[in-house]
Amino acid sequence: MDSPLHFDINGIKECQRNRHPLLFVDRVFDVVPGEKASGLKCFSYNEWFFPAHFDDEPNVPGFIQVESLVQTFIMTFLSKDELRGKKTNFLGINNVKFKRKIVPGNTLVIHATLQSYRRGIATGSAVSFVGEDPACSADFVVAVPDVLDQFKPKGAA
Amino acid sequence: MSNREKYQSVFKESFQYEGDVEQLEYQGIEEWDSVGHMQLMAALEETFGIELDVDDIIDFSSFKKGISILAKYKVEI
Repeated sequence: MDSPLHFDINGIKECQRNRHPLLFVDRVFDVVPGEKASGLKCFSYNEWFFPAHFDDEPNVPGFIQVESLVQTFIMTFLSKDELRGKKTNFLGINNVKFKRKIVPGNTLVIHATLQSYRRGIATGSAVSFVGEDPACSADFVVAVPDVLDQFKPKGAA
Repeated sequence: MSNREKYQSVFKESFQYEGDVEQLEYQGIEEWDSVGHMQLMAALEETFGIELDVDDIIDFSSFKKGISILAKYKVEI
């Protein structure tokens, strides 16, 4: 069995198309393409959103927590050679749960699992932690439009 | 339930569509887009216990066309 893969920020950018200021995973590790991936995101006060959310009580907005989860999740399949660098779209987000506030200085560790990937549609889930404390979790359905297009009926626009 | 009823039911459930499914064509309704197409293919495979070839997925352009495609898999609608 091959060893799990690891990606630094440049490796992540080779696999997925999210970029600053909307790239919310710094390092991805323990990746078994087609099965699982773990990610790490360090939040410092230099993040662009902290002064606005909120000036007297900075904490990570929920949608950014979800982005951290899904950006780790998509590495479970975009780490496959044939899918690297492809764009992805959300099809569904379910069972989102927020368990604690994430503040400057926190490091988020994310574990994502791919339940299935077939013909450009991936389903799975991710959970995140600060230390040992659960932070956020969600189930995802994500599409790879380039792959979906390969299966479009003939003559379709 | 007959195969035809199952076939109709797959279309209705995949697209949440209560109209006349027998007239449906790809992109004929908003729900039958590229994503809906994959959901429809997956539902047909599960319902009839088959695995569709890529060429057949691409050819599957309408309710009626699908009947002839499924016949290749010994599913008579």
